[in-house]
Amino acid sequence: MFLVLAISAASADAAHAVWSGLVIAENVPQPTPIPPELTKLEQTLKELFGYNQFELIGQSVKTLKTGEEDWLANSKYFGLHVDARGENDAGYTLNLKLYKEKDVLLETDANLSKSSPLVIKGPQVGSGQLLLVLVVKDDEGAHRRRRVEPANPITAGWHRLRRAIHRILP
Amino acid sequence: MKTFEEKWTAWLDGQLSGKELAEFEASLPDLAAAQAEKRDAQKLGAFLKDQLGALTLSNEEFFSHQIHDRIARDSADRDRPRSSWWTIPRLVWSGATALALFVITTVVLMSQHPSGEQSEYLTQILNSRVDPAANPNATIYIFESKNENKVTVLWTEGLQTLPADYAAK
Repeated sequence: MFLVLAISAASADAAHAVWSGLVIAENVPQPTPIPPELTKLEQTLKELFGYNQFELIGQSVKTLKTGEEDWLANSKYFGLHVDARGENDAGYTLNLKLYKEKDVLLETDANLSKSSPLVIKGPQVGSGQLLLVLVVKDDEGAHRRRRVEPANPITAGWHRLRRAIHRILP
Repeated sequence: MKTFEEKWTAWLDGQLSGKELAEFEASLPDLAAAQAEKRDAQKLGAFLKDQLGALTLSNEEFFSHQIHDRIARDSADRDRPRSSWWTIPRLVWSGATALALFVITTVVLMSQHPSGEQSEYLTQILNSRVDPAANPNATIYIFESKNENKVTVLWTEGLQTLPADYAAK
């Protein structure tokens, strides 16, 4: 039974992907539609930064299986290196490095939550602004599986028990 | 019809008489030796009587009671089952209590977060740094958006401005 629980837990944990994007925000007379990856954040981005166009210049989607993968989202001059350093109750612990060619412009460590996107305001680029966006998404395949198979109460209970024990014994 | 041994024993004990005594003594091959043996046997009998009479118990009832009591105690010890804390009723109660605790804990844990509820955790910035040589006036702020997206924002100010060419894909 514990083997089944462990397998269920592992498959549930592996059902996430991190989308990371390099975005140039700009004010232009004829803005192009926002990329579909940012649709949910459109209003928030407009309110926060005051720009009317958000263009993707680089992106990457990484499905996390162990929570300790690393990957790169690149544009011609910028690179965002993401180093996942494990999963926790809140999401994933990440080390982020923004490169301008070979120079590190910015480095940060963050706990990226599954329910809370991260937006980083980068340097001014021309008349626009470089933004870095990271979002944890449900893996497509896992999402379909979940629709077909309702949540297993035993697995859910196991996750809660695990979280409770982690809270007591961090 | 008595055997020779029976007659011999009766003769030694002096229980033969009359015709039977005369016939038995006549049948003996050596009467003198038999008489000597009879005397010895009688002496031995008298000696044993004297000795056994001296060992007669004066408190035989008490002695008998002690033996009966000891036998009763030994029997009771043998018949009594070996005692242990884990008796059957205690095992049953312990099992039921453990099961009840498990059920209560599970119910409490499952009721804390209804199934399908989204995590309330926000993204946390643990630390951030910019290259101070290239961006000496850079400052960093962290805040969260107030709307439903719960976006965590790392806001930098004072980074070196780059030419528009850097916006290339």
